[in-house]
Amino acid sequence: MKKTIQIPLGSQHISLLEPIRFKFECENEKIIGVDADVGFVHRGVELACTRSFEFKQVGYVVARVCGLCAITHSLSYTLAVEKLLGYVANDRIKYLRMLMVELDRIHSHMLCLAHTAENAGFEALFMQIMADRELVMDLQEAISGNRVQFDFIAIGGVNRDLTPELSALIHKNLELLSDKIDTLLGLFDNNWSLSLKYKGVGVLTLDQAYTYNALGPLARAAGLATDVRVETSDFPYEALGYTMVLESTGDIHARNFVRLREILNSIAMCRNIVDNLPSGEIQEKTKGKPSGEAVVRVEAPRGELFYLVRGNGQNMLERVRIKTPTFSAIPAMMEVFKGSEYADAPAILASFDPCMSCTAK
Amino acid sequence: MKFFIPFRKKSPWILHYNAGSCNGCDIEILAALGPKFDLERFGVINTGNPKQSDIFLVTGPVTYRSRERLVELYSQIPEPKVVIAVGSCTTTGGVFRGMYNVEDGIDRYIPVDVYVPGCASTPQLIIDAIVKALDILEAKSKEIEKPFKLFGAIETIGNKLSRLNMAKKVELHEKN
Ligand code: SF4
Repeated sequence: MKKTIQIPLGSQHISLLEPIRFKFECENEKIIGVDADVGFVHRGVELACTRSFEFKQVGYVVARVCGLCAITHSLSYTLAVEKLLGYVANDRIKYLRMLMVELDRIHSHMLCLAHTAENAGFEALFMQIMADRELVMDLQEAISGNRVQFDFIAIGGVNRDLTPELSALIHKNLELLSDKIDTLLGLFDNNWSLSLKYKGVGVLTLDQAYTYNALGPLARAAGLATDVRVETSDFPYEALGYTMVLESTGDIHARNFVRLREILNSIAMCRNIVDNLPSGEIQEKTKGKPSGEAVVRVEAPRGELFYLVRGNGQNMLERVRIKTPTFSAIPAMMEVFKGSEYADAPAILASFDPCMSCTAK
Repeated sequence: MKFFIPFRKKSPWILHYNAGSCNGCDIEILAALGPKFDLERFGVINTGNPKQSDIFLVTGPVTYRSRERLVELYSQIPEPKVVIAVGSCTTTGGVFRGMYNVEDGIDRYIPVDVYVPGCASTPQLIIDAIVKALDILEAKSKEIEKPFKLFGAIETIGNKLSRLNMAKKVELHEKN
């Protein structure tokens, strides 16, 4: 007779940043079934966007859906409203927005790497990556005035401009950071004890990634070439040196590697943006009230972020619908857990970089 | 015991709970524990276990489903304990105030000792708050502190307050 035991993880646990509850069905050490409960942080942002806030304020409210990818939320919302208003941003605004989004991607990826390291038991590596991450946080603070939640993007432009001193600082810090990332790349590739915890653990195959709708770094680590940055034409990513980063093995190691190499790619793009910043206004007047329906997709650090905004020519919007990457990737996550060891579960979970406050809104 | 008081101040352990925040303040707590701001130089360590903690760091405006867990975690921390509300949304509800699933701040449920403003609050502010909390911790006694809204009951057993039944109703909620 087979006997299984149920082990819960969460909703409050040292390895979790946010409340999420898993019920693992285990046979000895092997996980054979997973059940997840993600709704602990549901606040009701979508409804409040249509009831209590005017459309000009909503951009700052949706940023509070998630602190890690706040800028992509406000960016997607702003793009959608600008589409409804018939406004096209000039190149300088576009470049500045891209700069912040890429910086945000760097810091989010680094946090994920650090967290994965901590959950796999590498406390020193966690500290090292957190220390390196401060280089980006300093940049964000210098540019926008806040370390997270920078409220940089407004309808019709951005809220702060880039000065020459800031450009110099960006170059300096990114230079330092890219050296550190190179060291990390070597470390992740060659360190024997890291490879025990990362290589071959938590594998998502290409087939599974395709079937279960994996997104972002999770999909790219399995070799699925999907990235909204090349699929949409809102921003000139290709002109600024975007390259798709693909790995094939689909384990934690591959996910870490995709993140590290994407950081390098983002650093290169940030440098290009700062060097080729066009001149122009950073805030322009927009006229009218949004009416009609617009759909926007933006690549958040975790994958595709989808916004639908519907307005009827009034100050209040009719509908704001947010579909976040973690929500779409939950089936893929569940699949990866099956068949792996229970002891690896926290590290696997962290390597997905799940964002519950995005999922539950 | 008086003997333990100096040690408690030298190594306060923190318990972090996310009661529906946006993660902004959570990652700032992580950053504060990291090497640049280095909260650990005060002896602070992040535990996941309420039974071993002295300082309760809460972020988030308390969503409907997290309030039971909040009260339960709070009542499991042994006295003396200090509660720090990190972030505007934790202190007053902030941007989430009035949303339908939100309870507008944790001080409706548990007594708060230190409020940290800011959306998101910075690591510097969090460090200040913890240093302040240490003084409060030193002044507090072993007396049992009650949450404002209980889901179970505090009873007296042999002239002493006991929290044995505190989590009872929470379990009931859990089942549905
Ligand atoms: S105070 Fe602001 S940044 Fe902090 S958790 Fe609340 S909404 Fe997020």
